[in-house]
Amino acid sequence: MNLENLPLAILKAILDAFTWCGAKAGIVVPPWALTLVSILIVIVAILSVFLVMFALMSVLERKILGRMQNRYGPNRVGPWGLFQPVADGIKMLTKEDLVPRSADQIVHFLAPIAMVIPALMLPAILPYGRGMVPVELASGILYFFALGAGTEVAVFMAGWSSNNKYSILGAMRAIAQMISYELPLVMSAVIAALVAGTLSPNGIVMAQAGVSFGVVPNWFVFTPWGFAACILFYIGALAESNRSPFDLPEGESELVAGHLTEYSGFKYAIFFMAEYIGMFAINGLLVTLFLGGYQAPFPFLEWIPSWCWFFAKLAFVAFSMVWVRATMPRFRIDQMMQFAWKFMLPMSFVALIAAAAWHYAGRGLAAWGISFLIVAVPYLLLGRFCFTRRHTVDNRRYLFSE
Amino acid sequence: MHDLIQKLTALPWDQSPQWLFLIPAGLMLLAAAAAVALRNLIHSALCLTLSFIALGVLFIALGAEFVGFVQLLVYVGAVAMLIIFAILLTPASEVSASNNPFRSFKLSRAVNAVAGGAVVALVLAGLFTAIFFSPRVRAAVPSPNAAAPVALIGENLLTHTLLPLQGTAILLTAALIGAALLAKEEKES
Amino acid sequence: MMLQILLAISAVLFGTGLLAALTRSNAILVLIGIEMMLGAGNLNFIAFWKFSAHPETLTGVMFAIFSIALAAAEAAVGLAIIIQVHRRLRSVNVNDADQLKG
Repeated sequence: MNLENLPLAILKAILDAFTWCGAKAGIVVPPWALTLVSILIVIVAILSVFLVMFALMSVLERKILGRMQNRYGPNRVGPWGLFQPVADGIKMLTKEDLVPRSADQIVHFLAPIAMVIPALMLPAILPYGRGMVPVELASGILYFFALGAGTEVAVFMAGWSSNNKYSILGAMRAIAQMISYELPLVMSAVIAALVAGTLSPNGIVMAQAGVSFGVVPNWFVFTPWGFAACILFYIGALAESNRSPFDLPEGESELVAGHLTEYSGFKYAIFFMAEYIGMFAINGLLVTLFLGGYQAPFPFLEWIPSWCWFFAKLAFVAFSMVWVRATMPRFRIDQMMQFAWKFMLPMSFVALIAAAAWHYAGRGLAAWGISFLIVAVPYLLLGRFCFTRRHTVDNRRYLFSE
Repeated sequence: MHDLIQKLTALPWDQSPQWLFLIPAGLMLLAAAAAVALRNLIHSALCLTLSFIALGVLFIALGAEFVGFVQLLVYVGAVAMLIIFAILLTPASEVSASNNPFRSFKLSRAVNAVAGGAVVALVLAGLFTAIFFSPRVRAAVPSPNAAAPVALIGENLLTHTLLPLQGTAILLTAALIGAALLAKEEKES
Repeated sequence: MMLQILLAISAVLFGTGLLAALTRSNAILVLIGIEMMLGAGNLNFIAFWKFSAHPETLTGVMFAIFSIALAAAEAAVGLAIIIQVHRRLRSVNVNDADQLKG
């Protein structure tokens, strides 16, 4: 049996069993019922995979963070602490659900729902393997970012309805951050879509097939403009998921918990889950756009199934996000906004021009050189002139020394 | 076997029943009515957001998927957030939330509403006459191949509608600069 | 039949927007009404495109895309004006902006 077709074979087996049960009961199953059952099975499969990944990630992140900080992570609950999500789940479900009396009850109730619905709809368009796209949309990338816009409204609803200064301040900062970083994010995705010639994620993955120059896979990340766009997309993904170093909206030392201050128990668990599933979905999109999706890097590695490659790359990107969280300190809000508008947005336009130059110069070695120059020179100039100006201070007032 | 699975998991857009689009349409009209009638300004803005989302879903149900996603991205992600930010930045406009979501009765406001309602009723009467008594509208049939593929939209943007595209680019730049200038605080020196 | 239903829905949305623009005294609600009217216009474009004889020319779809972009630009400038008026007059009631009256 082919390992590559394993998920599809399971799906077909379930549908065959369904038809067989129908035939045993004496009724012929109509085609719309088969379609409905297949859709439901695909939904259940995606949700269970992502929820298991969320549970594993919540404990693995703490363990990896702990190991990077030279301590053990949680290791009490199960073997190596792997049952920690169960303990966390029980804790969150049994906590009292406090809603402040002066809070706007309806909006406060609807905010977690408005946050989790777009997050759960995000993984529907990602190509998990060859022929394994749940929804084959021709404008899949646009669908992805349209749902990201829905998340912003949910953050505002959470912050405003709590009737709390920290909440509204945290919500405003979170929305400002999400809107500012959405632009370089969308531009980077547009660069990948531009070179592939389609907005469909499956099409973009197929455009990264093969090996060029004999040794380098055709993944977009191995080209200069693709590398720049991948880094920009990665930083934008960190900012959109409110992860460190962009977690000012929910840092405890800053704003209690920002827009999540007045949420406890199950509603907080839903926000937490929405954030992590959003992170997995956007990592999946990064893998699809720049890291070649479900494709193996070299033809001799094709015996590993395509869905294994996809999840391996996804795990690598998620691990790197945990690594960044352990490594970098938090941005201040004005530093964050400056970085987005003054550095990332111009660099994303530069990467767009470099991608166009690479395409029109014939996609060969010369094109590689030209686009490398187009990316590297503005990067050095921007870095040098934007962020290393020396501020001259004339009279320094020392407050606490004599 | 791949195409069998593809066939089974492909979404049946074209075979969906005709009345399916009435659900987002009804939700849109309800949310729009709530946006007009509610007293709390933020609730009104949130109901408008819901109305925009329903309108986007309606566009997708009608087969113009690109326009639907652009509607969701631009209206919900940008225009609704702009409206909400403006409500928050003009705090004297926020009415204090009381138990009654609808406003108290005042004669001037009632006369205002009746006059406005009369104008709207006139406009609606004209529109409905045009809709329900026009022979061309009555004879229209849905085109079987009304599809708007993204590649075709892109090609149209850069060939047939190139001048409006460049004009819109200039307009958006001017609007960006103008709005940023207008909303800037003047520093009292 | 379906075209008539779609056009009726968009007419009702337009009427709702017109009602909001005419009767509410808050400038931001007037702007909300204007956005609703623009949305109703977009729905009309898409409805007529779907029922046209040559939908492959994509006229309605292009018009709707530009209309959405224009509505966003107009909302931005309108809200900037409202914010600036609020700074001067301390109020966003449209009845209070009467300095040029008489």
